[in-house]
Amino acid sequence: MYELFFQEFNKKAPLTGEEETLIKTYLTPKKLRRKQYLLQEGDVCKAIAFIEKGALRAYSVDDSGDTHIIQFGLEGWIISDLYSFLTGEPATYNIDAIEDAELVLISKSAHEELLRKLPKYETFTRLNITGAYLAMQKRLTSIISSPLEERYAGFSALYPEIVQRVPQHMIAAYMGLTPETLSRIRRRISSK
Amino acid sequence: MKTRQTIAVIGATGNMGSAISKSLSKGNYRLLLKANKQEELDPLVKEIKTKNADADIEAAVCPAEAGWEADIIILAVPFGAENEVAKKIKEVANQKIVISIANPLSETYNGLVTAPGTSAAEELQKLLPNSKVIKAFNTTFAANFSTPVIDGKQADAFIAGNDEEALQTVAELVATAGFNPIVAGDLSVSRTLEHMQLLLIQLGLKYNYNWLAGWKILHN
Repeated sequence: MYELFFQEFNKKAPLTGEEETLIKTYLTPKKLRRKQYLLQEGDVCKAIAFIEKGALRAYSVDDSGDTHIIQFGLEGWIISDLYSFLTGEPATYNIDAIEDAELVLISKSAHEELLRKLPKYETFTRLNITGAYLAMQKRLTSIISSPLEERYAGFSALYPEIVQRVPQHMIAAYMGLTPETLSRIRRRISSK
Repeated sequence: MKTRQTIAVIGATGNMGSAISKSLSKGNYRLLLKANKQEELDPLVKEIKTKNADADIEAAVCPAEAGWEADIIILAVPFGAENEVAKKIKEVANQKIVISIANPLSETYNGLVTAPGTSAAEELQKLLPNSKVIKAFNTTFAANFSTPVIDGKQADAFIAGNDEEALQTVAELVATAGFNPIVAGDLSVSRTLEHMQLLLIQLGLKYNYNWLAGWKILHN
């Protein structure tokens, strides 16, 4: 139920058996079926989710009803509306399952207590947020300055598993393209 | 809250379990029902779906599976069965809201079987130390769910527990079921709540209330 979670945790901050037992008391195991929401826009994001199994996406919907995918999440990743989680303001993202999923949730109160009680949890959190920040900076730079083909090639080289598991129209919504443009780019790349 | 929460009802085919399930199926909840008697569970799910085509409801395979998917778990089993069910859901109920509805009544309704310094809810909390046990729906009879307004007044439903946020979540659930939720205090207040229902049952038997009675606090 928490196998991958502790595997990842131990990579960032090795735990003693006692510390693992303590952390376990704060975790919420949660199953989500495909298409079910973990969070809907307008609600406050009350937990961050570590993905043990399955795939999720975080997205926003614009005024014309178009979906913009902010982030995908696969096994071993964390997904949330961090802004809402940290500030307590209503979420601007929706998060739902693309595949049946098993999650480990850390509620806001559990998160705060663990930060107070266990310096290693603070390390874990810092490394997670640093990683998320670096990924976001990369994504932002790529969006504003790289040509389309390069962006797609970079994305599929970095995340081959997402390209394999996630439907094309969602990848288009992640890249800010129509599905038609994405498939044109894919054709151009494969004919090279 | 927009995000649909999943509620597992364990013991869904009992008087209280089925009344709660029917009532909550009208709210923005996804319901997973579990009961020992599969032959009663399937017709119950069907009945709820027939009455309300929008109901998001399903029969669950086992208590642990239902509990794993759930955000909130309602134990609609008699006090005597709580120990066994608690064992099955302990791991998946970690950090989750678990609602204790049981009244630990003696067989002849002449008292409670719990020791004076405790309550069914507190005993459940001991069995599930990492869950947020909340006492609710114990001062309401099954018939109240279809008739939460008695003699022109909306019945009160008392809630007790130690976690503020969990109390609020359960208060919303109680309101969805048609009752007026009143947060009575921390989990130890369950002792009073369980005795209140004992009194109501005793009075009901004495004055023939026909199991349609409830509590209403009069105040200005």
